[in-house]
Amino acid sequence: MAILIGYLATLGVYFCIYNIFAIGLNIQFGYAGILDFTVITFMAIGAYMAGVGSLGPAQPGTEIYYILGLSLPWPLALILGAVSAGVLGYLIGLIALRRLRSDYLAIVTLAAGSIIYGLVGNNTKIFDGYEGLVGVPQPFNGVLNLSPNTYDLVFMIFAAVIMLLLWVLANRLYKSPLGRAMRATREDLDVAEAFGKNTYRIRMMAMVIGAVFVGIGGVLTIWFITALAPAGWGTSETFVVWAALIVGGMGNNKGAVIGSFLVAVLFNEATRFLPSINGLPSLIPEIRNICIGALVILTLRFRPQGVFPERKAKFFELPLTGRGREREHEVVVTGAEE
Amino acid sequence: MEQMKPILSVAQLEKSFGGVQAVRGAEFEVLEGSITALIGPNGAGKSTVVNLIAGALRPDAGQVHFRGVDITGYKPHQVAGHGLIRTFQISREYPAMTVLENLMVSPLGQTGEHLFSALFRRGHYKSEEREFVEKAIAILDEFGLYGMRNEYARNLSGGQKRLLELARAVMADPKMLILDEPMAGINPALISRIGEHMLRLKEDNGYTFLMVEHNLDVVERVCDHVVVLAVGRTLAQGTMSELRQDAEVVSAYLTGGSVGAGTKG
Repeated sequence: MAILIGYLATLGVYFCIYNIFAIGLNIQFGYAGILDFTVITFMAIGAYMAGVGSLGPAQPGTEIYYILGLSLPWPLALILGAVSAGVLGYLIGLIALRRLRSDYLAIVTLAAGSIIYGLVGNNTKIFDGYEGLVGVPQPFNGVLNLSPNTYDLVFMIFAAVIMLLLWVLANRLYKSPLGRAMRATREDLDVAEAFGKNTYRIRMMAMVIGAVFVGIGGVLTIWFITALAPAGWGTSETFVVWAALIVGGMGNNKGAVIGSFLVAVLFNEATRFLPSINGLPSLIPEIRNICIGALVILTLRFRPQGVFPERKAKFFELPLTGRGREREHEVVVTGAEE
Repeated sequence: MEQMKPILSVAQLEKSFGGVQAVRGAEFEVLEGSITALIGPNGAGKSTVVNLIAGALRPDAGQVHFRGVDITGYKPHQVAGHGLIRTFQISREYPAMTVLENLMVSPLGQTGEHLFSALFRRGHYKSEEREFVEKAIAILDEFGLYGMRNEYARNLSGGQKRLLELARAVMADPKMLILDEPMAGINPALISRIGEHMLRLKEDNGYTFLMVEHNLDVVERVCDHVVVLAVGRTLAQGTMSELRQDAEVVSAYLTGGSVGAGTKG
């Protein structure tokens, strides 16, 4: 029983984390149309920085090297991770958003991700290279003294609270005039610019806010599994987040939720705990990838708008006075169209 | 007549693309409260001039002054911020947004576009938002699009998209509008309706228009003043009836760029 609870709690945590990733990507792509093909890099930077923020200083002689090692309390580590991801988002945005259109922008994000991957992996002095960080302290664990399964449950609630908070903020952003301006830049960059929107600034905001969200998801990741190495944030992980958003529906945060549940939890994470088949250890991961790919293809073929498509904006309206004139106008329009 | 003060003046504008000199010293003024047409054969540099004024392109030389401010080299959103809004040659609505929302994007300097207000102080922009909705509804009613307000803009017909472009520009409360071929590809009934809207906006709201247009009948009916461009320079200016007498203008329209090339130097 305890094991089952632990298993479900683990899936619950992954659900929250992927949900945060998907909402972050939704802000970047669903709101502002920024093709960010390096989502997972923001997660990694958030995670690493929170990791080196929570860990104590690297001990000489252990052959484990990493920067900082500040032994920060968890809220400060969380902020460090989130801010670092935001700064990285800003730096990539500086290169990618100033004059590049969506397709070139995608290439820049992909390239930036590869550079950072190589840098972090090959340079053992930053985050201990391909070995990665291990033994990152978990929030509350020292205080509460819980069994691992119970702790997972507590952590799931903790992650859910953060997810809800970010969900509320993302929805507020969507409904606000700023979110509307973001969608206008997504629809037509030149027109939004000609209508007085500083499209560079607006897209940069979407880029940074999205990066911060994904970074917070990264912080939760490293706290939950207490370790992170480059193998855990390859390009394929970016694809999982994209798949979640495509299947769920872009531009709608509900889509991000259902997508993270279907893709990230049911296919990507739940299957990790299946016992491997004798003699074919890589069979399950391969089937998993096939399933996710097929899900994306089927969605794009049969329901390209996703499970929950973007909804029409609703405005509070007063009834219009002088309806007669309006009807007369409409007659003219329909008459003129023939 | 109108006030005779120029609201926009373009001086010695030049722009090359590689070896092609698209604009070579175009020069004209648009008087406040007028509807000015910018005509000329294809390749005369009309669209380039519009892009140079609106900030979509940077001029190689020359100045653009709008309401006494030198706006040369401004970014498009800065030009718009000064009250000069342009439309595009092809209707470019925000397709996946509703008609009403297309208008709601337009107002300049919205309180709710600040990140902090957007996330934490929604009360700050609620009342402003309500005013914008009311205003947008009134404008849609004027343009006969009220019934379509909750439709996605991509579902409108070509003519309705033209009307939406104009309505969306009006929502931004501009001082001046630059319309790049607003009558292209629409039927005569709608052409006259758009012309009426322009005249109404000029009379009631004091708008100034600069309009790139090929249909000379429309130009004659709607415009007070006409600027003729050929091969990147101003060939002639005046009212349409004055220009009809001008042999050079007639031949520029008939023979393309050869007149301008002949007078080069």
